[in-house]
Amino acid sequence: MRPISRRALAWRIVVALVGIGLLLNGSLRMSDDVWPFGPLSQYAFSPAKDATIVITRVEARLADGRRIDLPLNVESVGIGRAEVEARIPQILADPSLLEAVVQGWTVRHPTEPAVQQAWLVQDETRLAGGRPGPKRVVELAGWQVPG
Amino acid sequence: MTAAGTASASASGTAGGAAQAIAGWFAPVVPQSRVAVLRTICYLFVVIDMHLIVRDPIPLSAHPELYQPLFVERLFRLPPPSVPLATTLYVVLLAGCAIAAANRLPRVAGFTVAAAFSWWTAIGMSYGKVDHDHLPLVVALWVLPTVGVIEGRWRSTQSSAQAGWALKCIQIGVIFTYFLSALTKIRSGGWSLTSWPDSSILMWAIVRRPHFLGQLLMSHPDLLHAMQWMSFTAELTSFVVLWFRGRLLLAAAVFWLGFHVFTTALLFITFAPTALCWLAFAPLERLGPWLRGVIAGWRQRAGRRATGHPVAVLGDQPVDGSG
Repeated sequence: MRPISRRALAWRIVVALVGIGLLLNGSLRMSDDVWPFGPLSQYAFSPAKDATIVITRVEARLADGRRIDLPLNVESVGIGRAEVEARIPQILADPSLLEAVVQGWTVRHPTEPAVQQAWLVQDETRLAGGRPGPKRVVELAGWQVPG
Repeated sequence: MTAAGTASASASGTAGGAAQAIAGWFAPVVPQSRVAVLRTICYLFVVIDMHLIVRDPIPLSAHPELYQPLFVERLFRLPPPSVPLATTLYVVLLAGCAIAAANRLPRVAGFTVAAAFSWWTAIGMSYGKVDHDHLPLVVALWVLPTVGVIEGRWRSTQSSAQAGWALKCIQIGVIFTYFLSALTKIRSGGWSLTSWPDSSILMWAIVRRPHFLGQLLMSHPDLLHAMQWMSFTAELTSFVVLWFRGRLLLAAAVFWLGFHVFTTALLFITFAPTALCWLAFAPLERLGPWLRGVIAGWRQRAGRRATGHPVAVLGDQPVDGSG
């Protein structure tokens, strides 16, 4: 058996206890900002039985007139849906932030016609008694790609 | 000895016993080869993780206008991500993982990977979305190097409390991923035990991430509620697993790995890093001898086929017609 000094054992126990303390503190008091010691908040909220569920998307009108969905994932535009959702207030204040999505899509789809306009939209599904009810599409912001 | 002296000796004996029990729990003596094997698996997994899970730091770092640094990035005054920076981290991680997976330079390579992967993951989570499946893996990367050089690596015959402490920390990281998520659910529901399991959270998740099994269950909201109660109860009581041993521990591991398979089928949320870190509970020291036995068996059979002369192997069945 490999020996271990009292000091080496002591610091290990202190580190473990401090780590546990930070994790408990993060979950009980803090926000995601203190990752990796933040609360484990994924799916940790409680939507009501009549909640409205939204799926955020970005649509674009191409130079050939088609209006298409720019799939929000790393392969298609370089940014995930969650990242765009987290920046909705900023995009509403400054729709030109949609440029990040348009640029990401353009670089990854060089053979497609240029994007002329982009919109931030949400598919809304309203629950009724805990079951999916009617759906509708809401346009939140639009941005004209400069000439 | 007086009565007072006896009581005092007994009290200090009890205190010493308690300290020893705490030390024995946090740092049990376990085979070091367990850590050597887990190092190889974890560092190879980091490479997979960088390509399949936290795979967006390089494309994300091309958008400084969307970057919002986390507390840890502000605390250490880390420079804002850029494509050259993220690419450098990528290269450092590939090289560091290759060295550390071979159990070479365990401290230097290990701590380099720990720091680089923590930064890499922090970048991936600085654009609005913070995931919670990496807690045990990040813990593993920081504690595995502390065991230092393991002589004989996978073949080590030595045991140590250093190895036991590292594995215990990873085990705590795994279990706390469940237990803390239950605490967060209680907190977010206004400190209510029933708010989350009674909510429409699974329906919400399925609507947003529609997959085959989820769509099948959408017409059964009562079943989804029952599943919420089951997972919440399991998460809230998960910490008892830290005291399980033997078959009870195996049953708990099978339950939680089954839980991950189910959430993957239902929502396509894998929690792969957490699932992988369940290996910190496993007797991984048996993997080396088992693999060596399998390889020796292959070689023996291959040699027998090449020469055409069957070689008798104790307990083995003949594999060619002439045997």
